[in-house]
Amino acid sequence: MTFALRALELHKRFGAVIALDHVDVELAPGRCLAVLGANGAGKSTLLRLLAGLMRPTSGELEVAGHDQEQLRRGEARALVGYVGHATLLYSELTAHENLVFTGRLHGVSDPAQRADMLLESQALTHVAHRRAGTFSRGMSQRLAIARALVHQPRLLLFDEPFTGLDRSAADHLGDQLATLRGDDRSCVLVTHELHQASRLAQEAIILARGRVVHRAEGDALERTALESAYADAAAASA
Amino acid sequence: MRVILAILWKDLLTEWRARDRLFAMLVFALLVVVTFHFALPDGTAGDAIERNAAGLLWVAYIFSALLGLNRSFAQELDNDALAGLALAPVDRGSVFAGKALANLILTGSVQALVAFAFALVFGLDWLSVLPGLVGIIGLGSLGICSVGTLFSAMAVRTRFREVLLPVLLLPALFPVLAGAVRGTSEVLDGGGIPWDAFQLLVVVDGVYWVSSFLVFEYVLDE
Repeated sequence: MTFALRALELHKRFGAVIALDHVDVELAPGRCLAVLGANGAGKSTLLRLLAGLMRPTSGELEVAGHDQEQLRRGEARALVGYVGHATLLYSELTAHENLVFTGRLHGVSDPAQRADMLLESQALTHVAHRRAGTFSRGMSQRLAIARALVHQPRLLLFDEPFTGLDRSAADHLGDQLATLRGDDRSCVLVTHELHQASRLAQEAIILARGRVVHRAEGDALERTALESAYADAAAASA
Repeated sequence: MRVILAILWKDLLTEWRARDRLFAMLVFALLVVVTFHFALPDGTAGDAIERNAAGLLWVAYIFSALLGLNRSFAQELDNDALAGLALAPVDRGSVFAGKALANLILTGSVQALVAFAFALVFGLDWLSVLPGLVGIIGLGSLGICSVGTLFSAMAVRTRFREVLLPVLLLPALFPVLAGAVRGTSEVLDGGGIPWDAFQLLVVVDGVYWVSSFLVFEYVLDE
C-alpha cells in the first residue's frame, strides 16, 4: 500500500533541544490527521519536516511513495501544499499576482486562469486586484489556502489555520477544509481547536515534548474523548 | 528560465511598489558623493578628484549595494514567503539566478544615477569613456550581486544579519574590487580598455556565479 504520508522514527534536534523524539506517523490516501498538543510540543516542527522545509536529524519520511531525498530535491515537493502560521504571501502583490507567481513557480500551464478559478472558489474575486497586504486575517487565510492549492497537491499541510479567526470565520474555514479532502487528497491539520479536529479528522495524535503520547481514531475522536485525552497529555507533560 | 523570470518579475514589481530598497540605496550613495564634494579641496574637479574618482565611486557603490542586498532576502521573511520559495518544486539555483538578476538591475540603476550625479557634482566629462565605464562597472556589479545574493540568503535567518552580511561579503569581494577599481581608474584616465582588469573580473565573476548557483541548493533549507 502506498501511504499518503509515512514517517518512521522521525527525530529532530536543535542543539541540545529535542523538538521531535522518534515520531511515527502513517496516513492513508484521502484521510485527514489532526496533530494536537500544547505550545512547544513539536507540532509545527513535525509539519515543516513533512513539508520538506527542514531535514530530520534521523528517521525516514515518505510522501506518496517519495523518500525525503526526492522530497528535498524538488520533484516531489509538488505533491505537498502547505499553509503555515504565516500566509506565505507577498504583501505588495495583489491576490491575483500572488497566485500567478506561485503558479509560475510550480509550472502550472495557465497560471492566470488557475488563479481566477481559485479566487472564485475562495470568494475573493471581488478583491482579486487588491494588494494582499490590505486583506483582513480571514481573507488572507483564504488566499493562503488558494495559494497552497495552485498546483493541486495530493497532501495538504495546515499549521493552525484557525488562529486569529472569529468563531464564524473559523467555522466557515472548517467547512472549506472539509470540502478540500477527497479525490485521494489527504491532509494533516495542526490545531488547538479540538472541535475542529474532531469534525475534520479521521485520525489524531497528541504530541507532548516531541513525543506521540496519544493516538485516536473512530469513536475516540469525539470531542469529549479528545478533550479528556488532551487534558491527560497536558497533565503528563507538565 | 521560467522560474528565473518569475522571480525577477516578482522582485522588480514588489520593489517598484514599495521603493524602499531603491530609495535607501540611492539616498545613501548620493550622500557619499555629497560628503566627498565637501571633503575634497575646493570641492570641485581637479587633479585630486580625477586621480581618486574610481575609488570614491566604488565606495558609494559597494556600501549602497550592501544596503540593497541586505533587504533582498529580508523581504522574503515577511509572511514567511521564503518558505514558499523553498517549497517550490524547482532547481534552487534558478531561485538564486532570479534574485541575483533582480539585485543586479536594482544595483545597476542606482549606479547609473550615482555616476551621473558624481560627474555633475565634480564637473567631470565622462561621455567619451562611457562604454568602457559601463563595461567595467557592469562586470564589478555582476561579481557583487552573485556572492552578495548568496550571502544575503545565508545571513537572512541569523539574528545579526545586517552585521553578518558585510562581514561575510567584503572579504569575498576583494578580487572584484581590485579589478573594478583599477579598471575604472584606467578607463577614466583615458588609457583605453583595461584588459587585465577585464580578464580578472570575467574570471572572478564566472567562478562566483557558478559556485553560488550550485551552493544555493543548500542555503534555503532551515
